[in-house]
Amino acid sequence: MEDKQVMIEVNHICKDYRVLKKGEGLKGAFKGLFTRESTLLRAVDDLNFSIAPGEIVGFIGPNGAGKSTTIKMMSGILTPSSGEILIGGRDITKYRKEVVKNIGVVFGQRSQLNWDLRLGESFELLRHIYRIDKAAYEDTIEVMDEILGVKELLDKPVRQMSLGQRVKGDLVAAMLHSPDVLFLDEPTIGLDITSKYALRKFVKEINEKRGTTIILTTHDLADIEQLCNRLIIINQGRLMEDGNLTEIVNRIAPYKTLVVEYYDEYAPEHEKCELISHEANMAKYRFEKAAVTAAKLIEELSAKAQIKDVSIEEAGIDDIIRIAYGQ
Amino acid sequence: MKKTNIQAYIQVYRTRLIRSFHYKFEVYGNVLMQAIIMLAGTFFWRALFGSATKVQGVTVDMMLTYTVVSSMISILLTTNVERRITQSVMKGTIAIDMMRPINIFGTFLAEDLAGVTGLIFQNLIPVFVIGSLVAGLPKPASLASFWWFLLSLFMGFWINWLLAAVFGMIAFWAIDMDALIQVKKHLIRLLSGSIIPLWFFPDWLRSVLEYLPFAYLYQLPLNIYIGKYTTETLVKGLEVQLLWFVLLAVLFLFLQKRVTGKVMVQGG
Repeated sequence: MEDKQVMIEVNHICKDYRVLKKGEGLKGAFKGLFTRESTLLRAVDDLNFSIAPGEIVGFIGPNGAGKSTTIKMMSGILTPSSGEILIGGRDITKYRKEVVKNIGVVFGQRSQLNWDLRLGESFELLRHIYRIDKAAYEDTIEVMDEILGVKELLDKPVRQMSLGQRVKGDLVAAMLHSPDVLFLDEPTIGLDITSKYALRKFVKEINEKRGTTIILTTHDLADIEQLCNRLIIINQGRLMEDGNLTEIVNRIAPYKTLVVEYYDEYAPEHEKCELISHEANMAKYRFEKAAVTAAKLIEELSAKAQIKDVSIEEAGIDDIIRIAYGQ
Repeated sequence: MKKTNIQAYIQVYRTRLIRSFHYKFEVYGNVLMQAIIMLAGTFFWRALFGSATKVQGVTVDMMLTYTVVSSMISILLTTNVERRITQSVMKGTIAIDMMRPINIFGTFLAEDLAGVTGLIFQNLIPVFVIGSLVAGLPKPASLASFWWFLLSLFMGFWINWLLAAVFGMIAFWAIDMDALIQVKKHLIRLLSGSIIPLWFFPDWLRSVLEYLPFAYLYQLPLNIYIGKYTTETLVKGLEVQLLWFVLLAVLFLFLQKRVTGKVMVQGG
């Protein structure tokens, strides 16, 4: 077996939730006062994967797929019902306190900053919690200031910050103790374009400069296209796909779309492709990359009808998501 | 065992203390409420005693001292740990507490201690001044009784905190705890002697209450303060108090192990 470095190893983890059954209407609500029927819900079902140091992994799936639950288990907040998670070779359930020192977490929807106080005050608290010495702290702030421009925010109370500023604050807070692993749970949610751009720049730079391993969940496809060299797709708690973006695209969506504009309303058919839409002079053909080339197709179609314009659409991440989520 | 990160908890304490000076109205509201309770208590006890010099071996002045000191104790026994846990579990912010490399209950304790420190300045001193004006300076019976009182109050503080923490932990299993917390709060009000001393209760009820933890939050320290004790009752009282402290501490440590990682994080 090849001996490769592993930062995060997830072995057969499952997570079950006990969900109280709630009866219908008033009668059900009344009954609920005396009986406690519950059902077991499996939020995460036998997940297996490992992540190498320095990877940026996009963790995607529809709402309720178990993404956040998995992130929370990997960051030591939840304990798996079964299976184990090793971070840097150490079991996070058994050595939670030590392992989480090497982890940073940012939840896009909740902040770890203290609402009533200056941002600097929250940082000072974290500095003590993670036992960061003053010099190292100043260094990190300096580095983070270059990437995000955070110094000007230090004296600002968190409640007066915009969402973009608050997320910046949270990103820096998660990086203060220079963790090897950074989890970002929907970090771009609700952010405007500039803030999203700043966040992506931050992810890229800390990954390049510090070699931080980054795992992020998102619903923003641009995040994934621009940042992730690897994609893990989960649905209903199960692993659907794991690989790099183009590889997954080639495997589950191995087609391209040819859009042709004709001079006439007639759109000829071709045996190696499928006419998926036809409206006025515009026709869309889907073809398998392996079956035929675009050049060949255009050549043969133009023999049948006069072509004004063509464009080719690659199957993109949204196709993959649609296919993967549909299953 | 590794060294506990005391610096971190001190910082938690500091941060919470700074925050506690942000909530001014809440604080003044409590002073007002305590002032009303003390004032009502003064009228009530004066009317009740009438011309009697002693009732149940207590003079009206002792009773007034009792009322004021009881108000002061209620400030020192202010804990937020139950609400802190239930709110964090309900809102899902417990995730933030759990992802840090420190003990969450250590954090909660540091926050509560900071809260109480803030209240000493914002509540205890005003209540002491107002109490002294309406009911007279609340002097302890003797210097000895003052020292025993401090010891008993100290243990009372821990019984109260541990009780609250244990209650809060139930929130990790049963999310909606507000009603139960209210019940507990009112039970303490009624059965601890904080408003009406237990010696006015029927014998059978009193003998039951003597074995519940509530009386050891108010009644015992107050009895000691006003000097209504004998060596025998003092020793027995402190013994039962210590027993409750140990019992709750064991229960707390037992549950704490089980709670970590058990948490349901609301909101996906």
